[in-house]
Amino acid sequence: MKPLRATFAVVAVLFLVVLAVSPLKDYLREWKKYQNGYNSLVAGLPQRVKPVDIGIRQVWVQKLDRVDRCVTCHLGVKEPALRAAPEPFRTHPRIYHDVDDLGCTFCHEGQGAATEYRESIGNVKYWDRPILPRAYLEASCAKCHRENDVHGAPVLNLGRKLIRELNCAGCHRLEGYQKQWVPALDGIGEKVNRTWLVAWLKHPKAYAPSTKMPDFLLSDEEAGTLADFLLSFRSFPRDAVLEPLPAALTSGGDAQKAKLVELGATKFREARCISCHPINGKGGYVAPELGKIASKVGVQWLYNYVKQPKRLQPGVVMPRYRFSQEELAGVVAYMESEFIDYDMEKPAPHTPDPGFYEKGRALFKKYSCGGCHELPGMTRAEETGPDLSTIGAKKLYEIDFGRSGIEQTLPSYLKTKLLTPHAFGESMKMPQFGFREEEAEAIAVALLGNTGEGIPPDLVVPASPQSTFAPQGEFGKLVDDLACLGCHVMNGRGRLVATDLSLEGSQARRPWIEGYFRVPYSLRPVLTERMPNLFLSDAEIRTLVDYMESSFIADTLEHAVPSDPTAAAIGRGLYYERYGCQSCHQIGAKGGYVGPPLDKLAARLTPGWIFHWLKNPQGLKPGTIEPNNNLSDAEADALTSYLLSLK
Amino acid sequence: MARFRVIALLVPFLLAGCTAKRTPDSTAPADSARGGDSAVVVPQAAPAGRMLTYEERQGSVLYAKYCAVCHGKEGKGDGFNAFNLDPRPRDFSDSAYMAALSDDQILQTITGGGRSVNKSPLMPSYGWTIDRSQIQYVAAYVRTFVYGN
Repeated sequence: MKPLRATFAVVAVLFLVVLAVSPLKDYLREWKKYQNGYNSLVAGLPQRVKPVDIGIRQVWVQKLDRVDRCVTCHLGVKEPALRAAPEPFRTHPRIYHDVDDLGCTFCHEGQGAATEYRESIGNVKYWDRPILPRAYLEASCAKCHRENDVHGAPVLNLGRKLIRELNCAGCHRLEGYQKQWVPALDGIGEKVNRTWLVAWLKHPKAYAPSTKMPDFLLSDEEAGTLADFLLSFRSFPRDAVLEPLPAALTSGGDAQKAKLVELGATKFREARCISCHPINGKGGYVAPELGKIASKVGVQWLYNYVKQPKRLQPGVVMPRYRFSQEELAGVVAYMESEFIDYDMEKPAPHTPDPGFYEKGRALFKKYSCGGCHELPGMTRAEETGPDLSTIGAKKLYEIDFGRSGIEQTLPSYLKTKLLTPHAFGESMKMPQFGFREEEAEAIAVALLGNTGEGIPPDLVVPASPQSTFAPQGEFGKLVDDLACLGCHVMNGRGRLVATDLSLEGSQARRPWIEGYFRVPYSLRPVLTERMPNLFLSDAEIRTLVDYMESSFIADTLEHAVPSDPTAAAIGRGLYYERYGCQSCHQIGAKGGYVGPPLDKLAARLTPGWIFHWLKNPQGLKPGTIEPNNNLSDAEADALTSYLLSLK
Repeated sequence: MARFRVIALLVPFLLAGCTAKRTPDSTAPADSARGGDSAVVVPQAAPAGRMLTYEERQGSVLYAKYCAVCHGKEGKGDGFNAFNLDPRPRDFSDSAYMAALSDDQILQTITGGGRSVNKSPLMPSYGWTIDRSQIQYVAAYVRTFVYGN
């Protein structure tokens, strides 16, 4: 009997202890500590902040099917008086969303239902979506925001821009990105020499630091075989053949040559080739490096290309300059004499190994060169890299971290992969892009947003619509021939390096546009890109300006400035005394040079444009830094009158 | 009964052991946040080289676009256009000047321009160009130059 009683006594005591401890345990919850801390914090504040009732708090976001209890401890999220309070009580930074609307974990990830710190940040086994590090937070914007330029998410925008420009979609499946194929490799055997090509394939950035071509870390043998394979493609598209060099380039004495080179140097500068092409790293960034071009391409190819770029490379964004025969020969002679790589080995005779074609073809496929380059006889490469359309939802156990020794999270995996693609194993095919750290982080941000989770349609901000503007007729032919859309935007199409021309007809006066084509200059002294002189004929200029005056206009921009003799004087006062326009604009060589000088403005701009620009600059050129001064119509009229009176 | 007495004696100790953990440590508000009028509204001094907050980072992008031409990348009032201006743009790394400046003054200057705070009209107004939150972001970033980031 005795052992039974003893057992009973022990069990009873244990039961009592459990009874005593369980309310205690509940009383000692981690979050209660924070809530009491919050209440004592707000009690000591000079501002009146309501203390909270002790208890679990949560945000239930029905449309996203999420319950976030983060607000149990993050009590000051919506309390503006706690902007400088210690965490976890600090006010949430101002963003464009409301916590009640989207909750917490939709953007921050982590485990919303958890009530303990360690579990809530999701740093626990079997929770695949741990909290996003701050540097990668903009990834969540990408879940809903599919538009090109997401307001307030600069890192995401940079990442998307890099993904677009570097053509990641060439090898990876990525939603919302177009594949690009440039430049085609037709006729490359007639274009470059083998020594250059082998060196290029091995380290593209050694020749052109700004190139988009990544380093595939090829061995000497691979680079040699691939070069042999590529050099066997000698025919140009549409059966184009290289024209022979003119006599001026092939014959002639030294004195004649020197004169030709001098002419070429002048034309090279006048044509402003460096607006787009870098020379030894200095100059534009939209076109290939020219610093050592004479050691890269053959002189005959160079001559033919400058003469008619699109004949050898259809679709290339290089304008056809209207050089005369002599000028053309001069430019080529100048480039041949100036842009030489003196360190390059002399091209030696080389016979390719037997079977180089098959081996080279296999390499071309293995490294997915066809993701970016078209080659006759090769089908366009399909996605050979991993599918990245849902990479943001990748589970940690699916990732092979190898011996990299990095922090085992998805963001750090992506960043490391982008910086050193071979960190997770030598057999990886992904090339080395040579990203800077912030670029790798930005791309990782853009990729992490591809979570593939179902987003309610009313939350999605759709991708910016693609313009299908294609000018026809004579104007269309000129736009294509001069590659205008390589730098200008017309009705939503083109690349915005220079100005948007969609309203040029309403903006600028005809004589000014015509004069600008003849002698282009930089409107703003601080700009780096400059409009090249294309040496257009009068008839061509007329065609271009006629089209602009009939199509690139908006009736809403018409405005008659009332002729009030005192208006110009009032405008002058507004200009100098009230709005301080001279901070950024020059008149008579006095003032700042952020914006264009305003002398002789009446000869350049129409009164309607000036008036509407002053009223709302961002309405005409989104993103311009000219501030909107909220002018009244009378003020804008006065300022316009003043500006038009400038001689 | 002796055993019960032993356990009864133990229970308070157990309780004490549990409550000892309760001392708030990290959650205790810092002294500066507890008292003083300005402690809560004015951001506390942050060590140099700290990471920017969300608002400051947003502000840094806007600052680089709209302000840096005159006020300079480092906020020293030495942007490329600064040398055309008289008076020169304000040096935001001047800690004595910045400490005396209230948040409202900074916001007002950005929103309404120099003329709205009886300063030079050469500082334009941005109240109709960028929205209220963006102005607050810029104001937050402008404060960070004192630490020399």
